[in-house]
Amino acid sequence: MSIRTKRYVLLPLIMLALMAACVGISRVWTSGSTNASENQRPHISIMANLHTAEVPSDTIEKIIEEKTGTQLSIQWVPDGSYDEKVYASIATGTLPKVLYLKNAASLSYFKDEIRSGLFWEIGPYLDSYPNLSALKPEVLKNTTVDGKLYSLYQERALSRQGIIYRKDWADRLGLSAPDSLEELYEVLKRFTFDDPDGNGLDDTIGLTDRNDLIYGAFKTISSYFGTPNNWGWYQDSLQPEFRFPKYMETMKFFRKLHEEGLINRDFPITSKKDQQELFITGKAGVYVGAMSDVLSLEAKLKANDPDAVLDVHNRVRGPNGYGVWATQGYGTVVLFPKSAIPTETELKEVLAFYNELMSAELANYMYWGIEGEHYTVQDGKAMAVDSYNLREKDVKPYQALMIGGPSTIDGMLQPVTRNEAKDKAERLILDNENFLINDPTVPLESARYNEIGVRLEENMRDATYQFILGMIDEAGYEAQVESWLEEGGAQIIKEFNESYRSSTPLYNSIPRYNQEN
Amino acid sequence: MSETAVRAGMGKGAKTKPDSGRMRRIWKNRAIYLMIVPGFLYFLIFKYIPMSGLIIAFQDYQAYLGVMDSPWVGLKHFERLFTEPMFFTILRNTLLLFFMNLLFYFPVPIILALMLNEVRREVFKRFIQTLVYIPHFMSWVIIVSISFVMLSMDRGIINELLVMAGFDKINFLMSSDWFRPMYIVQVIWREAGWGTIIYLAAMAAIDPGLYEASRIDGASRFRQMWHITLPSIRSVIVVLLILKIGDVLELGFEHIYLLLNSMNRDVAEIFDTYVYTAGLKQGQFSFSTAVGFFKSLIGLILVMLANWLAKKAGEEGIY
Repeated sequence: MSIRTKRYVLLPLIMLALMAACVGISRVWTSGSTNASENQRPHISIMANLHTAEVPSDTIEKIIEEKTGTQLSIQWVPDGSYDEKVYASIATGTLPKVLYLKNAASLSYFKDEIRSGLFWEIGPYLDSYPNLSALKPEVLKNTTVDGKLYSLYQERALSRQGIIYRKDWADRLGLSAPDSLEELYEVLKRFTFDDPDGNGLDDTIGLTDRNDLIYGAFKTISSYFGTPNNWGWYQDSLQPEFRFPKYMETMKFFRKLHEEGLINRDFPITSKKDQQELFITGKAGVYVGAMSDVLSLEAKLKANDPDAVLDVHNRVRGPNGYGVWATQGYGTVVLFPKSAIPTETELKEVLAFYNELMSAELANYMYWGIEGEHYTVQDGKAMAVDSYNLREKDVKPYQALMIGGPSTIDGMLQPVTRNEAKDKAERLILDNENFLINDPTVPLESARYNEIGVRLEENMRDATYQFILGMIDEAGYEAQVESWLEEGGAQIIKEFNESYRSSTPLYNSIPRYNQEN
Repeated sequence: MSETAVRAGMGKGAKTKPDSGRMRRIWKNRAIYLMIVPGFLYFLIFKYIPMSGLIIAFQDYQAYLGVMDSPWVGLKHFERLFTEPMFFTILRNTLLLFFMNLLFYFPVPIILALMLNEVRREVFKRFIQTLVYIPHFMSWVIIVSISFVMLSMDRGIINELLVMAGFDKINFLMSSDWFRPMYIVQVIWREAGWGTIIYLAAMAAIDPGLYEASRIDGASRFRQMWHITLPSIRSVIVVLLILKIGDVLELGFEHIYLLLNSMNRDVAEIFDTYVYTAGLKQGQFSFSTAVGFFKSLIGLILVMLANWLAKKAGEEGIY
């Protein structure tokens, strides 16, 4: 009997185990801060997400500790399960002094926790730190919750989305960069059927995509069609993107790609790694995502096929002209839990630490590594050494800890212009800012959305995949939208619209994108 | 279990003066009682104390308030569970997968054990035994990855073979129809060999005299199997069946979570995956505890039912 019992208490058991584990960890931290009072070095515990497969070497960590006179303990958590880990730490009351959140989406998941007073409001302190006050007010405003600032942010271009494609394949088939959706379809089709690699085998596909409707290809192509970014204006009211006819057109486009085999058929269950694998092994010719990835993709592709040439492209004309969805100017954000930072004095210590991290010297260490070892300086610009593995082991993970970025840190080294495609990608990322599609609900509030919005969206995501794979038809999709409305969507729409109407005139001045005429 | 057994053993010699007598007996057998202590502490610390965490199922648990100060909400989370549109889907999926498990997986180790038992070359038998144990030591991550590679629509070997044989490709990984067969086949592949251990041990304990006697009476191999081997391991089968039923809602979280995707959610979402999604991915701690609690209750009822049935059928049961 008692043997069986264990199965029935799995969740509380997990919680207790986590609690025990975390108590252990916080002991380590606490004991660390006791040491700190002995040798006068503030102890700072950090939880951050890790984008590489392995925990980095502590070379850079040591340098940061030395330069800032602190003692760090960084808990690296794999990116894939980061949000779960944050929830577990919140539930067990074992947050570190510094908590990183992955991106804007994570920030909105944790809004309730932020509201509840779990974190320090840092707005009033920023002015006393010269480097931190260089952060852009308009971006900081996007990270606020109920008008209060709780976080520092890492810079992110407003839209990095675009197309990376095989220039050599396109040249061989006499194709130019796709200027419209029709041309994009044509490129995908010919990359699939016209043997673009010239090996005489039918072994290529057009587009490689993955199990992500947002950062994969779907949302970007959807914005080429002119679909709003999450929410948009439809007959004078805010409506979710999936109720727009353009969203349906995008789904039909993907359904066609899938039916005709122009995209990897397993894309709804393909990981990012496998998606890139198809591209770098010369099986797929088009990759839609962050254009800045062209550098690493090219390095890996050339290792397999030295003759391969990549190019980037951003302007694809849809029925409404150009358009691309925008983020809010930040990626990772940093929060400061009150449970781990009990006093204002300690908060100031931590903020002082971040102020120093935003100095050019430390920013260069974190972004580029050690001069002579990880990069060299030519004409005042940095050039990374060729050893990709060395940089991945020593430097890359620390880039995730950076606050601000090249536009807010004065004196941070710019890269040497060396890679043509990468330079073009940077130019196109700036060009994207000419036709951004913003999310109008960013400054708005819906209590019902905070409660169940994420879960309801999951149903719509499932339905989108099912439509693309031909498992449901248009009527089936509409039925899903109906049940979204019934299960709380209608109330979310109502609340967002009310929030819009009652919001300050400042918000009302936001231009209305994507009005359907 | 061991505790009760020891007590029962003591009980036989009980005298009429319980108090002083019992203390004396305990002192006399102190070494045995001492041996219980680690097991007792284990269950207390890791099984019983954590169970108190279940109270958050009746609260709106908020991390910054803690268990003590979170507001009590009665059965709110259970009401929500029973009114969730997903509830019946999840219940159906869990029970259906369980019954399929029972029907298709449970007999396999028995059959495999019977077959192994008939192998007369000892070396060969051991070799096969070792081979069939190996999959058990592979994690689900590896097994699911291997089947992804084999079943993929993009150059998966199974689909390539189907095409060569003139059939259409089958979308095993992203279809509601193929999820259950795929799940069962993977369970059998991984666990069937390992499951034979206890049956083989039970078979080794059968008196060889029975086989000799039946051979003299002219019983064939098959007859021996049917009339001697199977009846002899019947009680082992029953105990394992009850234990299996106790596992009713343990269908392997990892395994199913890895197979779950947008296209097969209607058949693949079970209580465990739902608890994980609601609790750890969406931070609804109280609700997911309520779901886990409900699942445990079903499990408890089923074990008791199975045990009662076993006793009715004249077997020993597990308690």
